[in-house]
Amino acid sequence: MFKNISLTVIFLICCFVSFAAFAFERDAHPTQTPLDMDGLRNDLSCVRSGAQPLGSWPREISYTFKIYDFKNDSFKEEKKTWMIKKKPLRIIPHAVGVAEILWAICPRERLVGFNEFSADPDSSFIADEVQKKGPIFKSKQTELVIGFRPDLVFTVFYSGADFKEKLNQAHIPYFDLGYFGTIESIKDQILLIGTIIGEENNAQALVKLIDKKIGELQSKLPRRARAIRVLYYDEGGYVPGISSNFNSICRIIGAVNVGAEQGIKSWSQIDYETLLKWNPDIIIVPARSRLKEQLTSNRILSHARAIKNNAVYYVPGVYLRVDSQFMVLSANLLAGIIYRQPG
Amino acid sequence: MMNKNVVLIIMLICLILLGGFFSLTSGSWPITALNVLKIIFFKLGLYSGEINDVESTIVWDGRLPRFLVALLVGFSLGGAGTIMQGIFKNPMASPGVMGIDSGAALGAVLAIYTGFASGSLIALPLSAIIFSLLTLFMVFAIATSGGRTSISTLLLAGIALNLVFGALTSFIITLSTREFDVGRVIVNWLMGDLNNRSWEHVNIVFPTTIIALLGTLFFVKDLNLLMLGEETAANLGVNIKSARNGLLLFSSIETGGAIAVSGVIGFVGLVAPHIMRSLVGPDNRKLIFSSGLLAAVFIIYADLFVRLIIAVDLKIGIITSMLGGPFFLYLIVKHRKRFEYM
Repeated sequence: MFKNISLTVIFLICCFVSFAAFAFERDAHPTQTPLDMDGLRNDLSCVRSGAQPLGSWPREISYTFKIYDFKNDSFKEEKKTWMIKKKPLRIIPHAVGVAEILWAICPRERLVGFNEFSADPDSSFIADEVQKKGPIFKSKQTELVIGFRPDLVFTVFYSGADFKEKLNQAHIPYFDLGYFGTIESIKDQILLIGTIIGEENNAQALVKLIDKKIGELQSKLPRRARAIRVLYYDEGGYVPGISSNFNSICRIIGAVNVGAEQGIKSWSQIDYETLLKWNPDIIIVPARSRLKEQLTSNRILSHARAIKNNAVYYVPGVYLRVDSQFMVLSANLLAGIIYRQPG
Repeated sequence: MMNKNVVLIIMLICLILLGGFFSLTSGSWPITALNVLKIIFFKLGLYSGEINDVESTIVWDGRLPRFLVALLVGFSLGGAGTIMQGIFKNPMASPGVMGIDSGAALGAVLAIYTGFASGSLIALPLSAIIFSLLTLFMVFAIATSGGRTSISTLLLAGIALNLVFGALTSFIITLSTREFDVGRVIVNWLMGDLNNRSWEHVNIVFPTTIIALLGTLFFVKDLNLLMLGEETAANLGVNIKSARNGLLLFSSIETGGAIAVSGVIGFVGLVAPHIMRSLVGPDNRKLIFSSGLLAAVFIIYADLFVRLIIAVDLKIGIITSMLGGPFFLYLIVKHRKRFEYM
């Protein structure tokens, strides 16, 4: 009898785990933003500048490959060249940011597969469209990727070496893209991707659009004597620093990322005491959490400015992880949150 | 002349107090030692002068609970390790041998992944404790047949459940990689983490430690006799079944309570009893208490090391495993001849 009960308990745990896989994300509250969110999102989703140059193929691409070395908390740069034989017509992006860029500048019939994260609304701004268009593969489904017969796969510096090796063995060309963490690096990558796929004009138009929208956004921000200090705090107590997307988002809207201000390079864990010492004006927390309730009920943090002013806000993770042109959208949302503050 | 064991206990208590002093006076917010003392005395009703409100909250609600959690977790793991090694008569036994660690880890990871842990500070520890008790129940259910519980089956069931729960935990970690923040919280927890511990955590681990300690003291003489062999113990009047099951229950409560508030901290429960056995001898009446104190010293100083000396994000479980791993190897090498003939 005991054995039956034990087996039943194990079974129930397995069921619980499976159910947990479908846990929902908490909804974020709508925010009044300087630019219309839907309009901005639509503008950034598709950029066409008319006729594209015919260009010459094969073409040699010269570029600077920049990556973030997480071991040493520093950037590494390397000059590289890459040869592409013909204009790629069957393209697969292996990362969300690349998929979002391609979605904007590349004719969509040339995109023949998307990884699962591009179809996940928690990670991607084009999730709905990707789900409709498909096909979708999981990151480790290399066979499926090969089966789509791409003539170019865009990988990123953190894509698995085994995945890249499989592409090599299948004689499928892939291009390894570098760092995407700042708006400047994103613009560099957009231009590079445009050159590789023969959509230079669209790429340049997207970069111009980014600059234009940032200009519009910045023109609508109130002038302040002192920049607002914003801190992003996640469930593990981690805070992003200088090399993070969050830092770039803050810089766009003239806010100070407190993590970067305090010398954090990538991410670092801090305790409540340190948070109190840094005393940010505003604390941003991920939407899929109840961190606001936790922080506002904490006795140590009851002395913190942001807690006293009830300035703790949920932001959906997709806005904080962004590494494409949609960083402008994130900046717009964050601006809407922080500049509605009095004083 | 003072007894050697008493001197040892006093030394351990002094080390704990010294660790406590450093824990309370160190942190990112500069607070003088004098102010820390004033705050402590004020809170205890022994000082009526003025204290700084912010400093008071930091010390009383931040640093003190963190120190107490480290102390109680260490004491629990050291005590539980001593009991396990005594019952199984195996120097390699530790609190995790019956799968309690893995069960608690699974409970905690599930709580984090489903978002249950975000709801309340006690949600995660509660989930860990429930799963550790569930594991205990399952191990006993599997190992009990005809009213008798086999020690070797207990061990084997513990190993099997360790594997099953370990696999389920890995599965959840895999799922959580979609949500970067959640994945990081889970990994942190599995490495042991005392960051941002509060009185709520003390309120969880304090009763489990006290209940387990009192319960263990009730059976401690029986544990000494059990180490002579079950037949001998039975001849000397020990109720083998109740003593063994009671000791396993209390050590599991200790382990579950500790892991619930600190995450998985390995090797302390293995190493501390060994060191103290060579210093105070095999008498569990002394050993359980002194092993608990030594393990508490380990955890307190490991936490201080993590907080103050290392600039990178090193976790307390990594420190204890880095120290405990080589010690474990030392044990294997030292006892390998004995193992060969087993």
